[in-house]
Amino acid sequence: MNETVLLRLDNVEVTYHRVATAVQGVSLDVREGAIVALLGTNGAGKTTTLRAISGFIGLDDARVTDGSIAHQGERIDNRPPHEITARGITLVPERSKVFENLTVAENLEAVVPRRGADARRLADAVWQYFPALAKLRSRDAGLLSGGERQMLAIGAALSCAPRLLLVDELSQGLAPLIVEELIRLLQVIRRDLGMTVLLVEQNAAVALDIADHAYVLENGRIVLAGTPDELRRHPDIREFYLGFGGERQRSYRDVKQYRRRRRWYG
Amino acid sequence: MQLAVNVAVLAAIYALISCGYVLIYRVSRVLSLAHGELMMLGAYGLAVTASLFVGHPLIAIGSAALLSVLVGVLVYVLLMRQMTGESVLAAVLTTIALGILLRGGMVLAFGTQTQYPLQQLGWTNASLPVGPSARISAAGLLLILGTALVYGGLFAFLRMTRWGIRMRAAGQNPLLAAQRGIRLHGVYALAWGLATFSGGIAGMLLACDAGVEATLATIGLKAFPAALVGGLDSLAGALIGSLVIAFVEVALISYVDPLLSDVVPFFVLLAMLVVRPWGLFGTREELDRV
Amino acid sequence: MTAPRSSGYFRIRYEDDFALIDTRTQKVWLGVLAFALAGFPFLANSVLLDLANQVLLVSIGAVALMLLTGFAGQISLGHAGLLAVGAFTTGVLFRELAAPFWITLPASAVAGALVGLVFGLPSLRLRGLYLAVSTLALHFMVLHVGQEYETRRGLSSGVVIEPPSLFGYALQDGRAWYVVLLAASTATVLLSLNLLRTKTGRAWRAIHGREAVAEALGIHVPVAKLSAFIVSCTLTSAAGCLAAYYRGFVSAEAFPLFVTIQYVATVIIGGIGSLLGALLGTLFVVLFPYAIEASMNALGLTDRLSSMIFAINQAAFGVAMILFLVFEPQGLVGIWRRIQAWVLLWPFGQKPLGRP
Repeated sequence: MNETVLLRLDNVEVTYHRVATAVQGVSLDVREGAIVALLGTNGAGKTTTLRAISGFIGLDDARVTDGSIAHQGERIDNRPPHEITARGITLVPERSKVFENLTVAENLEAVVPRRGADARRLADAVWQYFPALAKLRSRDAGLLSGGERQMLAIGAALSCAPRLLLVDELSQGLAPLIVEELIRLLQVIRRDLGMTVLLVEQNAAVALDIADHAYVLENGRIVLAGTPDELRRHPDIREFYLGFGGERQRSYRDVKQYRRRRRWYG
Repeated sequence: MQLAVNVAVLAAIYALISCGYVLIYRVSRVLSLAHGELMMLGAYGLAVTASLFVGHPLIAIGSAALLSVLVGVLVYVLLMRQMTGESVLAAVLTTIALGILLRGGMVLAFGTQTQYPLQQLGWTNASLPVGPSARISAAGLLLILGTALVYGGLFAFLRMTRWGIRMRAAGQNPLLAAQRGIRLHGVYALAWGLATFSGGIAGMLLACDAGVEATLATIGLKAFPAALVGGLDSLAGALIGSLVIAFVEVALISYVDPLLSDVVPFFVLLAMLVVRPWGLFGTREELDRV
Repeated sequence: MTAPRSSGYFRIRYEDDFALIDTRTQKVWLGVLAFALAGFPFLANSVLLDLANQVLLVSIGAVALMLLTGFAGQISLGHAGLLAVGAFTTGVLFRELAAPFWITLPASAVAGALVGLVFGLPSLRLRGLYLAVSTLALHFMVLHVGQEYETRRGLSSGVVIEPPSLFGYALQDGRAWYVVLLAASTATVLLSLNLLRTKTGRAWRAIHGREAVAEALGIHVPVAKLSAFIVSCTLTSAAGCLAAYYRGFVSAEAFPLFVTIQYVATVIIGGIGSLLGALLGTLFVVLFPYAIEASMNALGLTDRLSSMIFAINQAAFGVAMILFLVFEPQGLVGIWRRIQAWVLLWPFGQKPLGRP
């Protein structure tokens, strides 16, 4: 894993409809060749952050209103989406990840690879990584199962020859075994292609398994950062994200934010 | 027999125009109700180039065709691009407003008299015999040929070329297409260009057949049910739909009441909407989506 | 119930909850408006009076369309057809049976309700674009029927109607019409305001939002849709009847698709989902051609282009609609609300989410 920082978010603030901020003061670094995990529950702002990076934030009438997002030293916040995809930053979205009425093969052909990339080699690589898909070449993507769809989504993203892969909720709606398989695949891809991955996940256990570095997002702010080992030892992570601990009865007053505050300020 | 010829010619007109409706809808999910006016613009375009290039009919036709494509692309780039992503109703209303603008503009620019570009092209609209008892005008024959060429070309393009696949992808899931590097604006502009080209051809041939005047655009509105009956996102459907509507219209005009011609397409449309709203070949739309 | 106001205005009785306006400022402004409206006919000349009458007449149809499209979310491109229904009912009854005003108006309303039911039936199966297209088809069919009637009766220029007489007083002069139209318009607005506050209005807003969710909440979606169509079409048809009397004749050519587009423009330019929007949109759309004419006069172009005036109007209207659709999709009401938000939030520009 390299020491060069591929993506840097510096004190980023994202505002919706010019009046409501969803994410504030978010700073994180993604080193080249690393797998970085961004953890958090619903509504923490993970998807907003990913969208801000991928450039598709304008669709929800949102903007980066403070701070900066820099890719290889150049600012990319609030740039038009096609500029960002042209730089090799590709998003595997949370929902609606494949073209339902196109076949698997057409799905992979529809992709416009990054200029200068070896499209042929990548196309072959995709079939190798996903042998299950190779058998389903002429099936309509809408008829695939959840796991196959996710594979196709990742395969299509790979066909874009990205330098930075943004993965939103890989494990959502998938059986644990399939999630295992996909997670291992991400590691293989990172190793073979030198891919950098920013992985947004609710399932902390799975993400911490393969990440080199992790951040925890809560209510739009980064509250914790560190290596997976550090995070796995942290009592709050253990209690609220990994499901360990917590002997007492839960009441409203025990909401994690309140308790964390008490621990940190008390 | 003559009836069959009339049906074929009318169906060709409807098919060329409704192909535009379908292309634009399939690729950008926008219903362009300005298509009739754009077709009329193509017809006037021929009148203009015919008078500019008197004596060089092929140049006149070629430049008029090129002009159609350009107009389509311009309409997208200057206007519809701003409406990408807005609500469907807003985009449709924009096309309606564009249609109104074009109609007013064309009356201002060309006046209200009928024009006959055929004379300036130096050709005659010969009446050719078909079989023992029927006749077809040269323009009618060209319309049928043109339909076959345009549809054949589009089928091949959309199914077999990479950009055709990308156009279909953009039509299905624009956000995902953009995330995969497909330039949506480029794809939409291409769709508009092709659609206006196809409508323009119909307009030009109609101009040769019957002359150009301000009410030509209503044919465009009548072609719209053809697109819907066949299925708004199916080219094959547009072809079949045009045949169906043309057949019913000609039959009813000949045997029942000639005044019905304007309302028949909408009657068929209503019947189809009741029975099968997404048309004969359309993808079953999310009509009851949560 | 109306939304509660912030500090200073307390509701101490149940009646306060049901009142349409509760703050003193609102009451004062309403008084000013009432005074201005009442005094208008005495101060205005006949041209202005005619303009005002047109605005009031169109506002009824605009509010009706706003209820259907803006609140209940059912797109309808058949509005001119409904106006035609009211006008033709009036015309036919007058011509065939010499029916007086107090019969033709209710008859138009009933006809409107019935046709509205027919227009609403496709909405049970279709949505959005397809619904709009079905209403378009129905519009053409209604006009065709009207055309047939005219041809069969040999009336090439339409049916001529005498001015109606209300309580023995013939409505001929502008001021009398002003009173009647103002009453009708106010009644429509009050009816709509109240309807929107009831179960029906809430059901409409629910089906506009998410139909499946509305159904899950126990709202009978088909009934809500049909009620929206029926109410809207009844109002529109009544407006058509009044329009027929006001113009003095009925003809199928007076209701082309362009008229529907103008009404839809009032809804869009005004701002969807707001009665104020319907009224603002009406003002804009009705006054627009006069504004164009006035500016042409000012530029000294009238003589040269007088034959083209209709085309110029069309073109300019198209441009205006496009400008609003592209740059201000929320309409005039949107502009108003932005100003409000700016004033209320000042000096802050934003309000953070996620604060506990």
